[in-house]
Amino acid sequence: MASISIPLPLRERAKTGLLGWLATVDHKKIGIMYMVMAFSFFLIAGLLGLVIRLQLAAPNMQIVDAHTYNQLFTMHGTVMIFLFTIPMLVGGFGNYLLPLMIGARDVAFPRLNAFSFWITLGAGLVMFGGFLLGARSDASWTAYVPYSNKTYSPTIGMDIWLLGLILLGIGSTLGAVNFLVTLYTMRAPGMTAWRIPMFGWAMATTAVMILLATPVLTAALIMLVADRNFNTQFFSANQAQLWQHMFWFYSHPAVYIMILPAMGIVSEIIPVFARKPLFGLRAVVISTALIGLLGFTTWVHHMFVSGVDPVLERFFMFTTMVIAVPTGVKVFNWLATLWGGSLNLKTPLLMCIGFLATFVVGGLSGVMMASIPIDQYVHNSYWVVAHFHYVLFGGSVFGIFAGLYYWVPKITGRMFDDKLGKLHFLLMLIGFNVTFFPMHHLGLLGMPRRIATYAAGRGWETGNLIATIGAFLLAFSVLIFILNVLKLRNGQPAGDDPWEGNTLEWSTASPPPEYNFREIPVVESERPLFDARWRTSHLP
Amino acid sequence: MLPPVTRDAQLINELYNVVLALAILTFLVVEGLLIYSIVRFRRRRADEMPEQVHGNRTLELVWTVVPAIVVAVIFALSVDTLGRMTARGTLSNPVAHVHAINDQEARRRVERAQPVDMVIEVIGRQWIWQYKYPGGDGVITNEELVVPANKNIRLDMTAADVIHAWWMPELGPMIYVNPGQMSYVWFNVPPGEYIGQCNVYCGVAHANMISRVKALPQAEFDEWYAKQAAATSTATRPGDPEAGKQLFMNSSCVACHYIEGTKAQGRVAPRELTRFATYPTIAQLDGFENNAENLARWLRDPQSVKPGTAMPNLNLKAQEIADLVAYLQTLK
Repeated sequence: MASISIPLPLRERAKTGLLGWLATVDHKKIGIMYMVMAFSFFLIAGLLGLVIRLQLAAPNMQIVDAHTYNQLFTMHGTVMIFLFTIPMLVGGFGNYLLPLMIGARDVAFPRLNAFSFWITLGAGLVMFGGFLLGARSDASWTAYVPYSNKTYSPTIGMDIWLLGLILLGIGSTLGAVNFLVTLYTMRAPGMTAWRIPMFGWAMATTAVMILLATPVLTAALIMLVADRNFNTQFFSANQAQLWQHMFWFYSHPAVYIMILPAMGIVSEIIPVFARKPLFGLRAVVISTALIGLLGFTTWVHHMFVSGVDPVLERFFMFTTMVIAVPTGVKVFNWLATLWGGSLNLKTPLLMCIGFLATFVVGGLSGVMMASIPIDQYVHNSYWVVAHFHYVLFGGSVFGIFAGLYYWVPKITGRMFDDKLGKLHFLLMLIGFNVTFFPMHHLGLLGMPRRIATYAAGRGWETGNLIATIGAFLLAFSVLIFILNVLKLRNGQPAGDDPWEGNTLEWSTASPPPEYNFREIPVVESERPLFDARWRTSHLP
Repeated sequence: MLPPVTRDAQLINELYNVVLALAILTFLVVEGLLIYSIVRFRRRRADEMPEQVHGNRTLELVWTVVPAIVVAVIFALSVDTLGRMTARGTLSNPVAHVHAINDQEARRRVERAQPVDMVIEVIGRQWIWQYKYPGGDGVITNEELVVPANKNIRLDMTAADVIHAWWMPELGPMIYVNPGQMSYVWFNVPPGEYIGQCNVYCGVAHANMISRVKALPQAEFDEWYAKQAAATSTATRPGDPEAGKQLFMNSSCVACHYIEGTKAQGRVAPRELTRFATYPTIAQLDGFENNAENLARWLRDPQSVKPGTAMPNLNLKAQEIADLVAYLQTLK
């Protein structure tokens, strides 16, 4: 592979030990810190989820009282979205991989990058510290006004929650700016638009979405803080829908912020393990951008029963359904990439297959729910709980684990135990479906979400019991992953390129040196490493 | 889905089944291709090199256009169903828009939307539904909405505090009930009892905010109504502790109040009622002595006694108050 020599910057000798982490501006170390933080929050929020499932395992359970239960599901949702999925995908994978994939030595603004991480961690500590110390919100992650105003949520917990989210918004916005500038200005020579790896495109779209959506949420949060503390009247009683509009203007795109990077991960892994190029690369790129664009035109579908104008409702029904088309294109392109390939069924690919198999269910139930009459039945029911877990666990979390199995060998220089990985995959796939599939049925039987308990005799007992059993299986599968991480220390050395990768990160050492590349590679195709390998093995 | 009993619920049900069939078809295609690929194309030799296919314009066009057509069909079916549903606005008669404008013209649109036999005002509050009947008898119930069967009923709904949602799965569409705004629901049901519950998270006892509809044949309804109207104004017999207990345990009282060894396990009210009769005061209000007269006054209108209390005005009838007082005084 061709390369050009650019002198390494003169740097102080890298600090080691604890200070080496605390003071680092290296995108890889920051990425690892994001991942460790996010995964810790995943475990915590998962435990909260288990308490929720225990409470609902049978009618009239009193594991926790209603007030505590409401705090638990509020925190479960908030942490999973804002402190796990987004920081893991954007902060963790984005930071670690983007510069490596585009042949850069770091992000454009390394100090700003460190600031983003520390403010995100700070926000997490404020929010979760408040939770541990008793300052807890119970307004659910959507915090609908007027329930979240001073009259109905008088405690400081609500303010702490709002403060945490405002801080997270700052970290997230700065990170997005950083990624966009990096992608725009720091690509290796020869990396034209169509040679940017799919994960890069996914991150670019995600970053644009974060930039456009987050300010609206931040504005809404600050307005609510003002309403609560300075007696302003932004969300006065007769404007129940204003908060909902502002909240969902961010929070629906947030779904795509959580799924597009996972789709990017899947788009990187499938071609490598199928030994084929991504089928219809341009269509996948355009679909990604279209999803990003259309993602901003669908928020009112969360408000089909809130009482908004019927013309508006029909418009948003249309846009919501349209988004299924580019999503479908991506799914079929992934399938076509697998088709006729030489599938290396190692854990990273299995996780991608898990992603495809389950995300499709969430995507289809999304189209169903976009139909206003159907939404008038299933809205806010357990059917919806099933739907978004199929998208965000079946989609994002399977994507995250695919990414971890694929890139942790690059990050640590050690291979996972693939047998254990397969066991993890199998149990997670079964546990996930056993937990969330029955929830569709519960919703159709009239079970609303966010109820702390329920009376016997409405047909909800069996479904809930099955879901709870599934949840414990799911939790057990995550323990196997943790065991696999602990075993990494004695894992096989990974070498530079254990998977026969396509992208530039596999051309450098595992783990990569602080400067990533001694010589900056010159890119001549969408799969520089594949082509380099082919040339070595097939040319005299 | 639960078996539909109204035409609107029937329409939703039919649409759901059609769309579900399309979704299952798509699901089978995708999972089928996926499983086939895993089996058929798994790597057999370490050095095998598949054909390097970068794309296929025709195929890609097919899987863009076909899903687009399916989605267009679902959209058209949904719009058609909406047009045939009575309970929500159509484009020419946008009842739902009433939420946003809430004026006289909107009111007239609601009147035009569907001829009705009875309009009942519904107030959603933490954590009960209250039903005010038309006519000057002041009949209000808290627990159960009793309506005449096979009549067109309209509910004019609003909320007293936070957002609630009216969801009776068998009776048709769900709708949010917002403070300061009106929401409307129409239904016409055969005799029977139907259950649903609040479907927007509304606070600590959200799970207990159950809604019940009981449809009686007209004659039975009239009889029930006459009894309610009579009981609203005067108590016809002295308070009966057993009747009071029945009322307490089968009503929303239990959502907030705690009485040891009973169904009342609510923890909203600051003091439990297990030994209520031994307390010197009612509602921890200095000088408000715990006696039958004060207790009746408190139950009739808690806000007038202690402004700001979480205890709502339940619009109890005279007889109900007498029974409750009798029951509460047995708690020692």
